[in-house]
Amino acid sequence: MTDLRTCMNKSVLEERRPSICDRRENGISCERESVSGAVSQRACVYCGARVVLNPITDAFHIVHGPIGCASYTWDIRGSLTSGEDTFRNSFSTDLRETDIVFGGAKKLTAAIDELMENINPAPKLLFIFATCIVGVIGDDIEAVCRTAEARYGIRVIPVKAPGFSGTKSLGYRMACDAIMKLILPHANQPKRFGVNILGDFNLAGEMWIIRGYLEQIGIPVISTITGDSSYKTLLLAPSATLNIVQCAGSSAYLAERMEAEFGMPSLRVSFFGIEDTTNSLLRVADAFGRPEISANARRFAAERTAQILPVIEKYRPYLEGKRAAIFVGGGFKAISLIRQFNELGMEAVVVGTQTGKKDEYEVINSLVNSGTVVLDDANPAELERFMMEKQADILVGGVKERPLAYKLGMAFCDHNHERKQPLAGFEGIENFVKEIHKSINSPVWKYI
Amino acid sequence: MINLNVNPCKMCMPMGAISALWGIKGCMPILHGSQGCATYIRRHLSTHYNEPIDIASSSLTEEGTVFGGEANLLKGLQNMIDLYNPEVIGVCTTCLAETIGEDVNAIVKTFCEQNRNLSVKIINIACPGYSGTQNEGWFAAIRSILEQVEPNTTPNNKINIITPLISPADTRWLKNFLTEMGVDYTIMPDLSDNLDGATEKNYNRLKTEGTPISEISAMAGAKLTIEFSEFTDERNSTAEYLKEAYGVPYAKLPLPVGVRGMDKLIKVLTEAGGVATYKVRKARGRYIDAMIDSHKHNAKAKAAVFGEPDFVSAIARLCCENGILPVLAATGSVSPKLRETLASEIDECREYHFADKTLILDDSDFSAIEKACDELGANLLIGSSDGRRISHKFDIPLIRCTFPIHDYVGGQRVRMLGFDGSLNILDQAANAMLEKVEANFRTELHSKFYKPKTEDKTTTHPCFGEHACKNARVHLPVAPECNIQCNYCLRNFDCMNESRPGVASKILSPAEAFERYAKLKETMPNLTVVGVAGPGDALANFDKLRETFRLIREQDPIVTFCIATNGLLLPQYVSELKELGVSHITVTVNAVDPAIGAKIYKHVYYMGKKYTGVEGASILLANQLAGIKMLSAEGMVCKVNCVTLKGINDHHIYEVSKAVAALGAYMVNIMPHLPVKGSEFEGLERMTNKDIMVLREKCGVDIKQMKHCRQCRSDAAGTLDEDISIELRESVPEKPQTEKPRRFAVATKTGAIVDTHFGQANEFYIYEGDEKNTKFLETRKVFKYCDGPQCDNKEERWQSVISAVSDCEAVLAMRIGPTPEKRLKENGIEAITTYERVETAVSEAAKKRRNVYGVT
Repeated sequence: MTDLRTCMNKSVLEERRPSICDRRENGISCERESVSGAVSQRACVYCGARVVLNPITDAFHIVHGPIGCASYTWDIRGSLTSGEDTFRNSFSTDLRETDIVFGGAKKLTAAIDELMENINPAPKLLFIFATCIVGVIGDDIEAVCRTAEARYGIRVIPVKAPGFSGTKSLGYRMACDAIMKLILPHANQPKRFGVNILGDFNLAGEMWIIRGYLEQIGIPVISTITGDSSYKTLLLAPSATLNIVQCAGSSAYLAERMEAEFGMPSLRVSFFGIEDTTNSLLRVADAFGRPEISANARRFAAERTAQILPVIEKYRPYLEGKRAAIFVGGGFKAISLIRQFNELGMEAVVVGTQTGKKDEYEVINSLVNSGTVVLDDANPAELERFMMEKQADILVGGVKERPLAYKLGMAFCDHNHERKQPLAGFEGIENFVKEIHKSINSPVWKYI
Repeated sequence: MINLNVNPCKMCMPMGAISALWGIKGCMPILHGSQGCATYIRRHLSTHYNEPIDIASSSLTEEGTVFGGEANLLKGLQNMIDLYNPEVIGVCTTCLAETIGEDVNAIVKTFCEQNRNLSVKIINIACPGYSGTQNEGWFAAIRSILEQVEPNTTPNNKINIITPLISPADTRWLKNFLTEMGVDYTIMPDLSDNLDGATEKNYNRLKTEGTPISEISAMAGAKLTIEFSEFTDERNSTAEYLKEAYGVPYAKLPLPVGVRGMDKLIKVLTEAGGVATYKVRKARGRYIDAMIDSHKHNAKAKAAVFGEPDFVSAIARLCCENGILPVLAATGSVSPKLRETLASEIDECREYHFADKTLILDDSDFSAIEKACDELGANLLIGSSDGRRISHKFDIPLIRCTFPIHDYVGGQRVRMLGFDGSLNILDQAANAMLEKVEANFRTELHSKFYKPKTEDKTTTHPCFGEHACKNARVHLPVAPECNIQCNYCLRNFDCMNESRPGVASKILSPAEAFERYAKLKETMPNLTVVGVAGPGDALANFDKLRETFRLIREQDPIVTFCIATNGLLLPQYVSELKELGVSHITVTVNAVDPAIGAKIYKHVYYMGKKYTGVEGASILLANQLAGIKMLSAEGMVCKVNCVTLKGINDHHIYEVSKAVAALGAYMVNIMPHLPVKGSEFEGLERMTNKDIMVLREKCGVDIKQMKHCRQCRSDAAGTLDEDISIELRESVPEKPQTEKPRRFAVATKTGAIVDTHFGQANEFYIYEGDEKNTKFLETRKVFKYCDGPQCDNKEERWQSVISAVSDCEAVLAMRIGPTPEKRLKENGIEAITTYERVETAVSEAAKKRRNVYGVT
């Protein structure tokens, strides 16, 4: 096998090299700013904040800034709602040249007034996202929000998320802080038996699937913070017994804060793949110390596993031995995917994330084979280089990575925020296997 | 709203600038700003074009924002060169870079000074996101490139081609067209290959097609510039710049869409030395031909067109040329000129449509567009996939033909330029209209003009329409009470062994009846008729009837309601029946002479009093006749049932038939009397089928005859030929015990239920059984005894039957004619008529035989 460092010389920027490693090396450089000109796949602070708050379905998410940021985040995620669909609209103050010169706070105030006058029934919850230039031109959006709260008796929560102020992870934290701001005044409620689900965006109804499992084994779900949530249901969150955290990258911080403020413990879960789904269900069930719930969870997981195994067995001969490349947003998802590929007899040969954390990379390293290349904040050139080097058969990634895989003659699995089929839970396992099979064994590859 | 943009119909300048840069050979763009801008733009472009889109970012941080981003940008440029080795780098600013006042010119200069042997051309483009949309960004980039590339003013006889954003496929078409016209040209930018690339053996992450810098230099020496934009001005027009800087004359044209757009282009090219070849002239002719072919379909279209100004004006004109009314022309850009450009044209088209209102909007958003679509009754959307939400909400087809297209594949291949491209749009529009018409015209016209007449329901009613056997009906036994007593009738709803009118196994409450209906409807989509036929008189239980029909009507607005009645209360309820939506009424009239009636009716309860004899029969008759007349006046369909009783009214049937025909009855059903054990007429001799046929023929002169009556149960369900009511019953009573098996022949088609007329049986199932147990022995084939309505009595068939059942104590059949019953009896075989599960029927028969004949 070619030595990784030799391999890097050809097409990896000097500054990027510490962020690429394999098992034979210690540590990876991560949680850093992106390198200028390296063509990072990451988005920005605003993006992080926007995606976490987005599934609050009855909130008005107003983007204070020039139009681009609002335009590019309009209804692009597959979060489903059982109630309002206000969140699928894009509201922006659409700042123009004169606003930049004279300040945009007045326009923001006017926009809020206009909204309150025109929307019936009156909005109850507004998030005001400040993008890059708002801070630079000195709009005091906190003051605008305070005034609006007082004037209308509603919640208007500022989210100061200029893109340049850090990475997407910082945006997640800002969103978590905004949620805390919303629920903190409701800290004192009688406790209820049940969990909050954090960090599941209800993409393609995945949160509904997971909630269904929990309810089936006897665990009520009190509030779902980042998927199909509403102002009303969010306020119930402080009353739950336990937080379960699916997308750790976006919501672990919220769980920490809720633990600090409400004394609410939390568990990390993942519902991707048989192993993770089963373990998560058992872990959550056992956390309650009620034998009947634990027994239910075991029975349920065993039943569903027995149902899904034949599906996997059916496809396995067609997938066994294939090599996968993974490039996803967070480390936790990458870990789940590595396990899921192992369940199918496939090997992860390239694993990268946009914003993985140190401890997550340690887990990744412990799961992969020695030759697997692990990258933090990879760029297209690196993905291309290592996917070709490692002869990956398929890439699992986001929308931007898809055309690259195809141009390299490689199969692709859409595992992104736009997905329209659930990939979580037992239902998701079947979809995932089929998705992999449909692409990797497609006849089209014979003709290129 | 004024201060709030709701659902943007525009993007920002960097998006347009970057798009243009993809049309330059060997170019790699970088956005000087924070990381997100690059990522969002990449996501948008890669889903539209389905191509890898690498855009670098200077990834400005807090520090860079405060102290300037020079270090970031310098590093970024170097890194891009290391990774991509580009020929050209386009540096686009963003909101952030412009707001913090970055001097990109100076930074680039520094970079060039630091790297003396640089072979890469660096272009910087000022494109703050707040200064315009992608359209302004696009033109700003083109102009910046021209301004910053070394000019080569040597005259070269070429024509410069500048377009607004068009698809790679349209770019390809344009290049081919210019070649066909025989002109030499430089098109800048040229997206055709870079954003619609081929899969090749070796992937090159740098886009190596597109307009080379050397050709861009030579644009200063061209003989003409054609700029396909009506909206550029001295600030951002490249044509004007080339004129001013190098004296290159220019023509500004609308996009070559539609006849006028194309004619203008052909004219300018011809003047510039090009030739409209035979191929070009033919294409024009075909286009006109196609326009004519679809003009009437397109005249149905009221289109909402949205996008950037040049796109909107081109498509709106295309619409007007073809009689599509552009009820809304909207752009998200600030472009007051759009109104001037299109107003008179759209007004003219509006007159042709006799439409009240059209709208032209600039600086608009999708909430305004949605509102306008609703108000103006748009039935077609033409624009980007961002219109999909309006399309889904109002169920209006959307022609996706401009950037961005996220929900369909093929954004890179969209065609709208030239005759072919225009036709592509027109055909889609016409086909969208045709599709709507084709899918809806039947139901639309039906619901608009067709007033349901009872006659129509008659054809789907299995009892009224002879050809409606495929339609199923259910009789809901909600009416237990009767207000008269006929001598032939025994309303015995506990008895499960009979299949004849007046029998039901259980009375249902209206709620239960509704439930039974709803349940049946799930499995029986052909269930078109709900009837109440007893077991008593439907009208003697009117409250229950009303409630039942009300419940069903709530759920099912079209199902046909029918009832069967003796007619005593008919005059009282006709109008209410009509309100309930009951369209079909069967009245049993056995006599129109009170003296004969007196023999048939034992008593009549009317207005709280009991009447007998001629008095009772007279009251009944008067009400029957009055009722039938009222039904006919109300347009309700009335069938008259007439039970033929041998020796009582068989000579009188013709009078009955004639009388009800005169009153407007629709049909008469002359039925043979089925003697019921325990009833007054138990011993009455039966009419033969032949007798009945003769009567029907005679009466048929005056009134339509029903010949397919099955004399159903009051709780019958299913089609006439397949009564499944037995399956709806809840339990079967337990049998008392007994001893030695007896042998029976069972007439059954399915082996499950005694469901076959004796004369119709092809085979008999032979069973042995006692009260507890039954055992199937075998089946025995026979010739059919009764083959057709005339029951032609052929001796050899009869012999075949007798030999098949000769060792049996009894034959179990659903029904049996009087002659065969008699002949079986002569052979010592009893005929037992029943409608029951085979096993139960055999047990019951065994029990009966034991009780009558004792243990054998």
